[in-house]
Amino acid sequence: MNKDKILFPFYILSHPFDGFYEVRHRGRGSVAVALVLVFLFGLSYSIARGYAGFVVNDINPRTVNSVLEVLGVMLAAILFAVANWSITCLMEGEGRFKDILTVTGYSMLPMVLTFIPATILSWFIAADEEAIYHLINDVSVVFFVVLLVIGIMTVHGYSFSKTLLTFVLTFVSIMIIIFIVLLLIYLVNQVYLFLEGVYTELILRV
Amino acid sequence: MKRKLLFISVGILMMTALCIRSFAVSSVPYHTYNYDYWKSVYYTPAAYVPTGTYSGEDLGTGLFSSPQDIFVADDGRIYVVDTGNNRIIVLDGDMRIERIVDGFLNNGAPDSFKSPSGVYVTENSELYIADTDNLRIVALDEGGSLLKIIQDPKSEVLGDGFVFAPLKVVVDYAGRVYVVAKNMFQGIMAFDENANFTGFIGTIKVNISVTEKIWRVLSTKVQRERQIQFIPTEFTNVDMAPDGFVYATNYDPKGEQSVRRLNPKGQDVIQKKHEGSLSGDLYWRLGREYAGPSRIVDVAYRGNGIYTLLDTTRGRIFTYDHEGNLLYIFGGKGSQDGTFKNPTAIEVKDDKIMVLDASRGKIMVFSETQYGSLINRATALRYDGDEASAVALWQQVLKLDSNFELAYSGIGKSLLAAGENKKAMEHFKLGMDREYYSIAYKRYRDDLLKENLEYLLSLAMILFLAFWIGKASRKSKQKEELYVE
Repeated sequence: MNKDKILFPFYILSHPFDGFYEVRHRGRGSVAVALVLVFLFGLSYSIARGYAGFVVNDINPRTVNSVLEVLGVMLAAILFAVANWSITCLMEGEGRFKDILTVTGYSMLPMVLTFIPATILSWFIAADEEAIYHLINDVSVVFFVVLLVIGIMTVHGYSFSKTLLTFVLTFVSIMIIIFIVLLLIYLVNQVYLFLEGVYTELILRV
Repeated sequence: MKRKLLFISVGILMMTALCIRSFAVSSVPYHTYNYDYWKSVYYTPAAYVPTGTYSGEDLGTGLFSSPQDIFVADDGRIYVVDTGNNRIIVLDGDMRIERIVDGFLNNGAPDSFKSPSGVYVTENSELYIADTDNLRIVALDEGGSLLKIIQDPKSEVLGDGFVFAPLKVVVDYAGRVYVVAKNMFQGIMAFDENANFTGFIGTIKVNISVTEKIWRVLSTKVQRERQIQFIPTEFTNVDMAPDGFVYATNYDPKGEQSVRRLNPKGQDVIQKKHEGSLSGDLYWRLGREYAGPSRIVDVAYRGNGIYTLLDTTRGRIFTYDHEGNLLYIFGGKGSQDGTFKNPTAIEVKDDKIMVLDASRGKIMVFSETQYGSLINRATALRYDGDEASAVALWQQVLKLDSNFELAYSGIGKSLLAAGENKKAMEHFKLGMDREYYSIAYKRYRDDLLKENLEYLLSLAMILFLAFWIGKASRKSKQKEELYVE
């Protein structure tokens, strides 16, 4: 892992079009760095939920579960990448799966950078100053969305309107994937229960 | 051996004695609980304990038959509407029978009641009876002679087929009569002092959600006819506060707002907490027994902004303060003393709560415990704006129940006034009071800055000097280099 790969996401912050183009065509991106960024975002999201100051934090501490939240964020990122890949494959997208994953991870950098400083800032603010905290967080989320759109657009070589269309279709395919996975879990559970029943019968009769 | 046996038996005896003591503490046949800021249930000490049960036989009137209403007059007399026996029983303050009203002279001819289900007594001891199945309201004076009869109201807003069957009645200081009538969805009916119908107050608006609207558009005409009609809910009961505001209850299937405080213009001015509910329980099971939202059937205004609701689904009693904070919840269904089968009415007399149970035909009396009394008194002081005197009471409340959030913010406010900002912050945080926490925090932050201003200024000075010297030395180095070249 060289220094250039680690620092490349920061270059993308200021040069998203060029940066994502180089990710796709010059191999400057790294899936490992992207996954680390997704993990860090999950961590900072969970930290913001659990430790933001009393004035801005309306989250029941009993519902904060760092492990689940980090895993959930990582799963959501991978699910998005899979769904987007499955759609863009059919729509003449140029991006490979690893490009999509890299774009997803790299776009999260603004939130990774701001969530924890904003959390620390929230310890020192009073009720009428909470706008600053929300502004910082909102700006970083908007930045994330813009980067994600630009990234998907660039790696696939799409126009803007086609990118938006793929986002809608990606959402639909995420729903389908979740539905199929739930169905699969249910079926596997049924098979397991059947086998368990057979085993119990055998144990009790033989 | 004998000694050992004695030892063991004494030990066992002592242990049972200890057990009995701990049972005695929780000997109330229901839970007392409350909801915290995060809407989780937490159990508290008993706020009220059952101290008496009175059936018709105990009082010497014969069994009650499905009694529907109870009323405590200003002079302390208690009026019980014994619906099935068509009579009103008047008790004095010590639950001794005083008289039974079962008829009156109507233009010289004896007249009686038919399934009366509501009663109200004014300051002048005028008795208003909702004589339901005779379709009228009868007003009698203290001696039992007829004052007036309200019946068959005429108005354009009432439909042709409307039958006026009054269920509950209250009268304000000016003699205006407010009536909850059967199958009347338009609100509470108001009559002036001459028994003329003047209009409705407190009409409940129907809220149709977006999904319901879409569903209605998509369904066919036949389907639409079969769907539930969106009609507003009926009022179930009313109570009159001394300031002329009417407290009215209704059944809310969504469990959001079951009580309204109507001003003389008929608008709802009750205070509700942000995202809060005024409808009893926040959670309920969906099937089997005790399912569904709390069905609030009666309200008792208790002074100082405090009011108490009676729920018939689970037989619980909910007490709120003027801001809509829940103070305590107790009561339950059952057949022990202090539990209900079908509670229909609630009244408050001094420090006692009285509940009338129609199925069991009994009046149940609950008395406040130290815990309940502390909360009642502290809330009353808070309502008057006397937060300082409330602090001592709140501190005692916290000794009995360390989860009581209002107590923390109450103490926090006095600490804030005393300038102990850091301690006030801790209390406001425990009381989940963000607004006052912010005020305390701002003062704390300002103080911290003021105290450390000299250090901060010197630090800034040093940094500035270091920067300046560094810059100057770099410049001179550059000059030297130039010179060398």
